[in-house]
Amino acid sequence: MAKYKTAPLKSWERAKEIRADYYRNYAAAHEKGGLRWAGGAWTFDAIPAGLGDDVYPITSEPYGATIAFQKDFSDRCLQAAERAGYARDLCAYMRNYWGSILLNEYGWAEPGEERKPFPKPDFIWQDHICCSHAKWYQVVSDLEGGLPMFCVDVSVGPYEHTTEHGIDYIVGQMHDGIEWLEKTTGRKYDDEKLIQAVYNTCRSTSTWAEICALNQAIPAPLEEKTMYSLYVLGTLQKSSKDVADFYDELLAEVQDRVDNQIAAVENEQTRVMTDTQPPWAFLRVFRYLASRYGTVSVGSLYTFALIGNWIWDNGKFVPRPTPQSQGVEIKDRDQALRVLTEWELSKPEWQHFYHPKYKSDMMIQIAKDWKLDGVMLHYNRGCEGLSLGIAENRLAILESGFPVMVFEGNMGDEREFDEARTMARIDSFMESLGVPKLD
Amino acid sequence: MISAGIDVGAKNVKVLIQEDGKVLGKGSVLAGLDMGADIKEAFDAAFKDAGIARDKVEKLYATGAGRNEVKDADDSYTEVGADAAGVAYLYPEARTVIDVGAEEGRAIRVDERGKVVDFAINERCAAGAGAFTEAMARALEMPLEELGKISLTSTKAVPMNAQCAVFGESEVVSLIHQKTEKRDIARAVHDAMATRITSMARRVGVQPEVALIGGVAKNVGFVESLERDLELEVMIPDDPEFVSALGAALLAAGIAK
Amino acid sequence: MIDTFQERYENRHEYAKQWKDKTGGKVLGYFCTYVPEEICIAAGVLPVRILGSHEPQDVTEPHIFAMYCPFCRDCLAQGLEGKYDYLDGISIAQSCLHIRQAYTSWELHVPTDWSYYLPMPHHVQSPRAVPYLLAEYEKFKKALEDWTGNKITDDDLKRGIETVNKDRQLMKQVYELRKREDPPLSGLESMYMVVSSQLIDKGEHARIVEDSLKELEDRTLGRPVGQRLIILGSENDDHEFIKMVESCGSTFVIDDHCTGTRYFWDQVSLNGEDPLTAIAKRYVNRVPCPTKDWPVRTRVPHIVSLAKDWDASGAVILQQKFCDPHELDIPAIKSALEEEGLATLFLELDVTVPIGQFKTRVEAFLEILDEEDLF
Ligand code: SF4
Ligand code: SF4
Repeated sequence: MAKYKTAPLKSWERAKEIRADYYRNYAAAHEKGGLRWAGGAWTFDAIPAGLGDDVYPITSEPYGATIAFQKDFSDRCLQAAERAGYARDLCAYMRNYWGSILLNEYGWAEPGEERKPFPKPDFIWQDHICCSHAKWYQVVSDLEGGLPMFCVDVSVGPYEHTTEHGIDYIVGQMHDGIEWLEKTTGRKYDDEKLIQAVYNTCRSTSTWAEICALNQAIPAPLEEKTMYSLYVLGTLQKSSKDVADFYDELLAEVQDRVDNQIAAVENEQTRVMTDTQPPWAFLRVFRYLASRYGTVSVGSLYTFALIGNWIWDNGKFVPRPTPQSQGVEIKDRDQALRVLTEWELSKPEWQHFYHPKYKSDMMIQIAKDWKLDGVMLHYNRGCEGLSLGIAENRLAILESGFPVMVFEGNMGDEREFDEARTMARIDSFMESLGVPKLD
Repeated sequence: MISAGIDVGAKNVKVLIQEDGKVLGKGSVLAGLDMGADIKEAFDAAFKDAGIARDKVEKLYATGAGRNEVKDADDSYTEVGADAAGVAYLYPEARTVIDVGAEEGRAIRVDERGKVVDFAINERCAAGAGAFTEAMARALEMPLEELGKISLTSTKAVPMNAQCAVFGESEVVSLIHQKTEKRDIARAVHDAMATRITSMARRVGVQPEVALIGGVAKNVGFVESLERDLELEVMIPDDPEFVSALGAALLAAGIAK
Repeated sequence: MIDTFQERYENRHEYAKQWKDKTGGKVLGYFCTYVPEEICIAAGVLPVRILGSHEPQDVTEPHIFAMYCPFCRDCLAQGLEGKYDYLDGISIAQSCLHIRQAYTSWELHVPTDWSYYLPMPHHVQSPRAVPYLLAEYEKFKKALEDWTGNKITDDDLKRGIETVNKDRQLMKQVYELRKREDPPLSGLESMYMVVSSQLIDKGEHARIVEDSLKELEDRTLGRPVGQRLIILGSENDDHEFIKMVESCGSTFVIDDHCTGTRYFWDQVSLNGEDPLTAIAKRYVNRVPCPTKDWPVRTRVPHIVSLAKDWDASGAVILQQKFCDPHELDIPAIKSALEEEGLATLFLELDVTVPIGQFKTRVEAFLEILDEEDLF
């Protein structure tokens, strides 16, 4: 007999739909005279929203992960990038992405259809905190024979030391960027659309955090493998109304699961979290944890906060309330940009870029409040940005008393992941935690 | 109680039989293609060594990467768990276990009760395991034992970068071309490997006492380099390559927990 | 004279300790050439760049995951092993992620009185970068004042600028001499000159460069120049490697390294401007590190013109293993150089290099260049 009742997530279908529409709309934008642009998952997508409702983005990291998920295609992409002279140890998303341009194949296809040629973006709108961010698109532009590109540097230091001049620097670049967008596209910029997109950004990223906070419940209503398919919407287009609305609905459903003790893992007996992007081609690791050990991964700083926005409040790590819920009313462009900048600067996944201690503190707090038994860190060779400082995080978490295991791999290059050895390591870890095997 | 432990590794299959903490017999065979046959052969050897009949064994626990192949095992433990159990019995004062086998190096930190607190395993690269010294001995055209021995007579440290075995090999070749003395090359090989192992061990934190187990513990050249690196003496049991099997047998008997 | 640089480089730790004893001043270890030495010198501090030792080590694995560059691990190892125990403080200006970890782990595990993270902007091609950096410099200056107890006046800053500028300008004169058909110094000697400037008192360094200039006036290498090469890439103070290449019938005549031209090429121009602004402009507009060189890759034409002006026939492109920033520029640099008719050789550096293996490749490369000369 299973320990808890379980049920599939009702919002699942809607999530799939939003994602399919997203890739479809991007590809088809030109058909109706619309525009396509490319940028990272962290880019300020609220800003190009001011160009009109027919302007569609594609964000690079989820696109890279989409490719990584298709092992054979990914393999061809990685090889194409290598043949073009790009080193094997570079960001694996980036190499998958470039490969898909080089092969001229779009990594997303309608179910049952062949891959179409890669839809070249009209312009690039990126931000920069990881050293690879702007450079990624510099290469994209090389490969596409030159593309207009604008990139906003956001690396002004950790949130707790935010300065006025730091905000001015970012907002200044944004103002320049809007002028550049108008010039590049020949369109007139609509501040009202920007303002709505900023509200949406705050709403979707705050609500996602609230959803993750519900996972403190025992049994956990969500497990990480499912969360990957949900948080991804925020990485696609956090400024869209559809995404923000979807998270509101999802929040209600997850709350209902908590109220009714509906578990993600029916035999939950152990709780862990991971860190960094998973090796996408090997998500069955999570199934193994659940079925063999009744171990649920309740998430990670990565799933909670890559897009989710959180804040420290009296020693607790909590979803950050949106500016609109605090009575802020945005009146003009400058204010919209300032609110957006100030909001994004507190993004938890931006803090460790300056020092591992920020991330360690958040992880330890999660380990406590989400009632974890152990932590599984993915030392991810595919991402220099999120693996940054991970060894120090490990030391700090151990110091705080939580057992930690590490496994090496790569989110987007399956050649760097050894499944059998990882499973063996999981066995050793579970054994050392004293977790009985489920038979 | 008489119990047995079997350690099914990638290169060797080892069986150890014990009674109330006393070793009765051991058997080891090289792993071939037929795992089932190897397991049987290792058992036969161990029973012969112990001079007892098979039905005297009340409990059998398996460990090692191929532990699930042992169909009649009563239970199984991972190599990490078995290593810790074996060492805790042999050296209750040990807090750090370093196990260097043919294919893999491991470091384990244990508490006063022999419980695993933390562990590290070297990543997919032969440069931190026995296969590396074997390859280097081949490059130097000498038996492995010889490599260990002449290393002790070296008086000079030659830096060598053993980030990977392939790289290591080409470095050895260029050292040979530069007419570096063989004993110094031997030491360079052991130093390089010790650096890798120490690096890994520092991940779990090297707390004395330190026990060194696994087949490579028999390589005197490596042991010297490792001790120099760690700046302490390591404890090595008589049959370092049988400690996992011992641990499994002790767990089976309930002597280790 | 010119060999003094090597001596200073090799005895950098003793030098810094003696400097402290002699002056009673503070020594600041810095991790990246974006730290504005002008301001440090104005505060009476001796800035020394933290470099690796090119020796195998086993202490950094618990702190930095193995996918980061060997240079950052080598640097951290020096701290963990206590080789820099005389430092009074450490600092980094925001540059690449890899070296940043050497800094943060150092801060966590090597006892240091003072530590400063300077958020040097990445978008140096934006007009917003200078005002932002200026505000950060104000903070940095204040922090230095609090730390040293010395008030930094505009005159101090001007003195700092003049000291560093003078050294830069003299080194550039030496580089001019390398344009000669028969250059008076080797690439190795030149490397020692530039790296030692990162390690010792600037005024003293400038005096040695001045003396060397006289010595170099009518000096030759006393050996055939062979192929004239440009060397470029990430940090490189691997003297063993440079020595090896130059012993195979070639001479490095120019470079693009942060232990070479990138460090000193650009001057601060005061032009009646307030000194901090002038310094900020210099660091924003200097030959950039690849992580700051976007959206336009300004470094590519710069490298091509260096190669041309110094009449190089081939390029050795070096890269620290796993160095993402440079890996992201190398394909573009390589094709630009090849378009200009320069042959390129790409090599990946680790903490120690497999000299034998590299030698074979270097010889083959030089052979190709020699053959090209025949036609
Ligand atoms: S390395 Fe990681 S953080 Fe950097 S661009 Fe790639 S996915 Fe993003
Ligand atoms: S630029 Fe390259 S070599 Fe220099 S610290 Fe960064 S990664 Fe290492």
